[in-house]
Amino acid sequence: MSDRQKHIRNFCIVAHIDHGKSTLADRLIEATGTISKRDITEQMLDSMDLERERGITIKLTPTRMHYVFDGEEYILNLIDTPGHVDFSYEVSRSLAACEGAILIVDASQGVEAQTLANVHLALDNRLEILPVINKIDLPSADPEKVKHEIEDVIGIPAMHAPCISAKEGININSVLDSIICEFPSPRGDEDAPLKCLVFDSYYDNFKGAICLVRVVDGSVRVGDKIKFMQTGSTFDVTEVGYFTPAPTPCDTLLAGEVGYIAASIKKISDAKVGDTITSAVTPASEPLPGYKQVQPVVFSGIFPVDGSKYGELKDALEKLKLNDSALVYQPENSTALGFGFRCGFLGLLHMEIIQERLEREFNLEIITTAPGVSYHVFLDSGEMVEVSNPSNLPNPSSIAYIQEPYVNMHIYTPPEYVGAIMELCQQRRGEDANVEYLDSQRVRLDYVMPLNEIIYDFFDSLKSRTKGYASLDYELSEYRTSKLVKLDILLKGEICDALSLIVHVDKAYERGKVIAEKLKEVIPRQMFEVPIQAAVGGKIIARETVKALRKDVLSKCYGGDITRKRKLLEKQKEGKKKMRTLGSVQVPSDAFISILKID
Amino acid sequence: MQGQNISQYVEDPDKMTLYVHIPFCVSKCAYCDFCSFVPSHGDIAKYLQALYHEIDVRALEYSHQQITSIYIGGGTPSTLHNNAIYELLQHIRSRFAVLYNGSVTIEANPNSLTRAKAKEYFDAGIRRISIGLQSHSNRLLHLLNRPHSYRDFVHAVQYADEAGFVDISADVLLGIPTQTMQDLRGTLDRLLDMPLTHISAYGLILEEGTPITNAINSGKLIPCSESLANKMYDYTVDRLHKSGFYRYEISNFCRSGYPSVHNLNYWNRGQYLGVGLGSHSFVNGVHWSNTLDFAKYIKNPQDCRENVEVETIETAKLETIMLALRTEAGLDIKKYDSTFGTSFLNEYRDTIKFLLNNNLITINNFRLTVNDFNISNAIIEHFVR
Repeated sequence: MSDRQKHIRNFCIVAHIDHGKSTLADRLIEATGTISKRDITEQMLDSMDLERERGITIKLTPTRMHYVFDGEEYILNLIDTPGHVDFSYEVSRSLAACEGAILIVDASQGVEAQTLANVHLALDNRLEILPVINKIDLPSADPEKVKHEIEDVIGIPAMHAPCISAKEGININSVLDSIICEFPSPRGDEDAPLKCLVFDSYYDNFKGAICLVRVVDGSVRVGDKIKFMQTGSTFDVTEVGYFTPAPTPCDTLLAGEVGYIAASIKKISDAKVGDTITSAVTPASEPLPGYKQVQPVVFSGIFPVDGSKYGELKDALEKLKLNDSALVYQPENSTALGFGFRCGFLGLLHMEIIQERLEREFNLEIITTAPGVSYHVFLDSGEMVEVSNPSNLPNPSSIAYIQEPYVNMHIYTPPEYVGAIMELCQQRRGEDANVEYLDSQRVRLDYVMPLNEIIYDFFDSLKSRTKGYASLDYELSEYRTSKLVKLDILLKGEICDALSLIVHVDKAYERGKVIAEKLKEVIPRQMFEVPIQAAVGGKIIARETVKALRKDVLSKCYGGDITRKRKLLEKQKEGKKKMRTLGSVQVPSDAFISILKID
Repeated sequence: MQGQNISQYVEDPDKMTLYVHIPFCVSKCAYCDFCSFVPSHGDIAKYLQALYHEIDVRALEYSHQQITSIYIGGGTPSTLHNNAIYELLQHIRSRFAVLYNGSVTIEANPNSLTRAKAKEYFDAGIRRISIGLQSHSNRLLHLLNRPHSYRDFVHAVQYADEAGFVDISADVLLGIPTQTMQDLRGTLDRLLDMPLTHISAYGLILEEGTPITNAINSGKLIPCSESLANKMYDYTVDRLHKSGFYRYEISNFCRSGYPSVHNLNYWNRGQYLGVGLGSHSFVNGVHWSNTLDFAKYIKNPQDCRENVEVETIETAKLETIMLALRTEAGLDIKKYDSTFGTSFLNEYRDTIKFLLNNNLITINNFRLTVNDFNISNAIIEHFVR
């Protein structure tokens, strides 16, 4: 191993949301003098506004820091990881780029499900784990208890874990020292053929797709011909460099280093996360292990509130797609909502992020239909059709059976909420329950559950039943056969396709009733009576009625006060601009969202 | 303001009506948020002086417009002392070009309309009198804090009739808290036995800050239910129709030939000049209202215009439609097209198609009318851009 590599440490930080990952990252950057304190805006690594506002990290910006320990200078590469289950594949690739992981645990909250999920991922990637107890400045902090919990629950030694406060800057150097001492240095072969792991990518308007890489073996420099081993495409390297966290070009990236490669790559889909970059001239024989094609699991329709903004929505999705290869979409035409797109996401958070970015960065008002999953519909003919849009469900008489995706779900909770959680999981068709008491404070519940039941406000319900204490993690397991039906909503006798859902037959009545009731609340009274019906296969299973408007104009139009009258009318109209006309019924855009939030 | 903004969108730019506001009442009604108050000593004299001054100034400003109709409203004009109205009208006629035989209306309260005043008004050339009754039930009149009894109303109508008035109007209020169908039937029974040519029926509007609204908000009064108010309205429309009262506007009913000419000018979007505290005007393409501040008005009556708004073709169009659709006659499409140099049917093609498909409007002989006045507001809203 070269002396150079001995002075490199590649590591990431694993933590539950809110446990202080971004804050610790900021402190490390500050303590190593990578950027002066003055230039630190809160939470340097979270680059998008949205991330900062939600306090969660979505995209990763790796940062190179310099630190002198025992008179020798070390290069520390911090690779940040997203903290949400939707992005677990991205997390796994980031972990694969490191030798060590700092595990932050909140000194008062202890270990949470998300932490565990990521720790297991880190252990799977054979990373050295350094526990760090954060927020010791809080009055409720109990570092000793948390250390025991780490040892009990995770099974790694924690007695010498640094106890810090990232917020107050306490004990930050002990973390840096531990990084040097505890984490192994990279052991790449500089002379072997090039192997780079792409652990993230983003799109730059001038340089094209930029690959964030960990060089495992070999070296790469400007002018090299490189090849992506999964896609097979080749490019000429135009720039290599590292982040401080600003991109800083350099001559060469060598084995063990972390940095970026630009090669005039036109499409982000050519720079797939998990792919291996090698030399096009002297390629490596085997790619790095662990590549996976990311598949969307949650689908929903996105339509512009103002139908004439379809073109703008299309442009916005194209732009988002440049930076987010996990987002997929295709044009969709709804009789109710007009032209829009059926979009596929990694999960619910990913969906919300895309919606918010469309609204915020592109100033678009959008209507989102109920999220759904992708069903495998087996026809009598033996053919299998994938259906992610309820409107495309084939005629029931031609369907032999339908399969839906199931997940393995793990919930961590204090013991007092076990009953409430089990009740919730049973309501949501959870099966094969397994309850394990980890210690006196913590229980793990495992369920096999349809994904369909989770994307429908499961997380909110779980949080509200456990006062926010329970945490959740899941991974897709398999497709299973279920009795599924299409639930239609009719307004004034016409099916509103944008409100159709695929639901389990036992849930159809309840869901139909609740949706009809909710719609009755949100649809304003119109010039005529509006019956709201829920139907399965043409059979009406629930009905509500929005009564017709009456006598709204008995008021005296006082003499000359016409201007006021006109302005009232204009104001009234402004309030209705956000309405969608479905058939002849005016429906507020929020109606589509409101029916998703029913418990 | 005069001259330079001649409206392009009114039929008769040389004509206007005149509204004169008398803001005084002997007491404030529990539901009233109009510009009215109980005067202190000296207020009336000061007000009339200011009003005369404003009339003089406006008459010079609008010397090119003929006044086709005069309406003296309030407040309660009949609270003014004897001869005050006679002199006021004499003054107006001496300053403005008033159409000979033009309609002149006065509002009166049952308790303040004496035999002498009724005679005075008739002698002053007033031919139409509008008397506020609201209900025949003394219980409801008390609840509304009206300063009169049903008996007072009977006398007032008698005085007006004796003085020579043919055109007598009464106001009825629907949806008063605790009002029953029986109360309403009783009121209409009595009114239809009297020599009336015109009835206005309004739903009680709970305006913020009025005593009746406060009583409802604090739970002391139970508001009339929507279904009962609807029932009352349907009953009133039906009853009046059967008794020969023709509904020419949402809230107004008249015997054949007796619509309020003055109010029709508003619905037809004619010009009008308002004088006095809080009055509204629309002349030469400009809307404005006078201040509601009494002290300010007294001090400088000719210079207290507020909410000045110059009309645009868009506001003019919307007002034309909004006002016309409140009337039985509806919107005259040919007139609209010639006024705005456009095609109404093309401009609102989709809206009209939608409303016709849902059987909400009728177009007949180039007139667009709403099929149900009850939801005219919702229909009109469709024409807002």
